[in-house]
Amino acid sequence: MKPLRLMLPALLMLLSIVAFAQTDAQKSFDQMKTLSGTWLGAVKVDPPQHEIDGTEIRVSLRVTSRGNAIMHEMKAAGTPDDPTRYDDPITMLYLDNDRLLLTHYCDAGNRPRMVGKLSADGTKVEFDFLDVAGSTQYGHMQHAVFTIIDANHHTEDWTYLMPGDKPMHAHFDLQRKN
Amino acid sequence: MDREWNDSQPIYRQLHDRVVAMILDGVLKEGDPLPSVRNVAAEYRVNPLTVLKGYQQLVEEELVEKRRGLGMFVKDGVRNLLLQGERQKFLSEEWPRIHATMRRLGLTPEELLDAAGPAPNAKSSTGSDTKDEER
Repeated sequence: MKPLRLMLPALLMLLSIVAFAQTDAQKSFDQMKTLSGTWLGAVKVDPPQHEIDGTEIRVSLRVTSRGNAIMHEMKAAGTPDDPTRYDDPITMLYLDNDRLLLTHYCDAGNRPRMVGKLSADGTKVEFDFLDVAGSTQYGHMQHAVFTIIDANHHTEDWTYLMPGDKPMHAHFDLQRKN
Repeated sequence: MDREWNDSQPIYRQLHDRVVAMILDGVLKEGDPLPSVRNVAAEYRVNPLTVLKGYQQLVEEELVEKRRGLGMFVKDGVRNLLLQGERQKFLSEEWPRIHATMRRLGLTPEELLDAAGPAPNAKSSTGSDTKDEER
């Protein structure tokens, strides 16, 4: 009986560690939540198109639904808020059991999903394509990477597959505005 | 370019189609620069990445070419190429439907031409450059 009494606190401690241990998905999600706010920055594209380089993009990330989702919106700086007329895509990030998922509501009319993975150093969340709902006749978003540089600086890399699977890559270098 | 967008296609595809229409209509001539991405984005209040997607598709289709530091330009020979494609598309996709309707309604080609009025390119009895090119 005595050994069991001695083991009980250790067992309880172990159980509590297991219960509160964050999954990688939860860690990724928490890391993404630190990006909540409004960001402004320049865009660079590949294949290169010099006349667009430096165009200012506004990104907003908002934690919503009692912390169960993050809403991401990207638009050209200065564009009015009118989602019925303008083409600014919305992306929702959320946990699905042990996965961090992203659903991109594309202005091309489809909804690709991607699975996120946190880098070992915890500064990068990379999203790989999982599946897509809707027609891909006009291409679809394929890949996304969020890299946290510091509390006020992060980058985003979005890869869109054009018809014929030709990739178009946009890199946003973003500074926090609030 | 029209400022309104329909819901049946993404905006980038509609932009692409409008540039093609501008080339076919002679508004954009071979060798002309395309309006800049920033200008189109600002004027039509669309995301510059959307404009870029439309332009990139024109590049992929070899209708326009990028000139480093200068922008994008309509390629030589593109208008005839587009005309051939559009004519083929009309004859294979639209004409059978129109022809069936004409037969059903008993319409003659002469009646249709009368209803359409004078041809927009019929500038003079000698014909215009545009008409000659189309031939």
